[in-house]
Amino acid sequence: MQVKYFIILIALVILGAVIDLIRREKMTFKYAVNWFLGCVIALFFAIYDSLLITLSKWAGFSLPSNFIFFSLLVFVIFLTLRLTLFINEQNSRTEALAQAVARLELQLKKIKATEK
Amino acid sequence: MLSKVLVIIPAYNEEKSIARLIAEIRSAAPFVDILVINDHSRDDTEAQALSAGADVITLPFNLGIGGAVQTGYKAAAEMNYDIAIQLDGDGQHDPRYLADLIRPIADHRLDLCIGSRFLLHDTSFKSTALRRVGIGFFRKLLQWMTGLYLTDPTSGFRACNRKLLLQFAEYYPIDFPEPEAIKMARRHNARVGEIAVKMRERQGGQSSIRYFATLYYMLKVTFAILIDALKKKPKESRYAG
Repeated sequence: MQVKYFIILIALVILGAVIDLIRREKMTFKYAVNWFLGCVIALFFAIYDSLLITLSKWAGFSLPSNFIFFSLLVFVIFLTLRLTLFINEQNSRTEALAQAVARLELQLKKIKATEK
Repeated sequence: MLSKVLVIIPAYNEEKSIARLIAEIRSAAPFVDILVINDHSRDDTEAQALSAGADVITLPFNLGIGGAVQTGYKAAAEMNYDIAIQLDGDGQHDPRYLADLIRPIADHRLDLCIGSRFLLHDTSFKSTALRRVGIGFFRKLLQWMTGLYLTDPTSGFRACNRKLLLQFAEYYPIDFPEPEAIKMARRHNARVGEIAVKMRERQGGQSSIRYFATLYYMLKVTFAILIDALKKKPKESRYAG
C-alpha cells in the first residue's frame, strides 16, 4: 500500500518542480508538456490502481508490475524521440545562426575595407 | 515634445499585403517609424517591405509570432522609442485607428492600449464558433485573474509605452502570446484599456492559429496565465537606462 503513496509523492514533486521551472522562465510549456502528461497519468493510476490492474489483465500481462515497467519504457522511448526532435531543431537553428553571423561578418569587413 | 513611435509589424509570407499596408500606415500616421519583422518568410515579403520604405529585420529562422514581436520590442528598447505599436502584417488591422490607439498612451492615461473589434456593435467580423468560445473564455479568465474586463483579449493590435516595452523586450510569451501579455502587463502594474477598432478580412497570408491547434493553445495560454500569477513582482529590465 505504501508504494501507492510513494508514487503519488514522486509525481507531485516532479509536477511541482516543472511548474516552478516554468514560473522562473527556465522552461517553456512546449517542453513541459511531456512531463505534465507523464505526471498526470502516473497520478491517475496511482489513485485508481484497480483500473491499472484491470487494464494490465486486458492487455494480457500476467503481472501488473510488468505492465507498469512496459508503460514506463514506452514513455521513456517516446520522451527520447521528442528530445531527438528538439535537438535536431536546435541543430538546424544554430547552423542558420552561424551562417547568418558569418555573412554579416563578411559584409562588415567589406564596409570597413571601403571606409579605409 | 512629440513621442517617438515605432510600429512593429510581424510578417510571415505576406508579400501580397505588406506593401499596401505600409503605404496605408504612411498616409494615416506619417509621424511613425515602421519596422517589419520578417519571420523567415519563404516569399518576397522582405523585398516588398523594403521597397515600400520600411525598415526590415529578417530572422534567420522562423520564431513564431511571439519571438518575432519581441524582436521588435528589443529594437524599440535599443533605439529609444517612447511608444511601440503592434500591427499584424496580414492587413487585418486598419492603420486608420493608429492615432486612436496612440492617444491614451501619449496622454499618459494608459500603459497598454488594445484595439478591440467588439466595442463597436458591428457584426461584419466573421469568426469560427470555436474561436468565439475561446475569446469568451479568455475574457472571463483575465477578468478573474486581473479584475479587468477586456472585450478582445486576443487582439494583436496594441500600443504600449516605454515602461512596458522594456519589460516586453526582457520577456515576451511565445505561441499565441496576446492574452498572456495582458496578464504580464498587469503584473507590472500597467494600466490596460481598450479602444474600438474595425478589423478587416485578412488580405493574404494565413492565421497563425490553425483550427486543430486552437484547443492546445487554449490549454497552453490558460496555464501560462495561471503560472504568471505565481511569478515575482516587477524587476528592472536589462534594457532600461
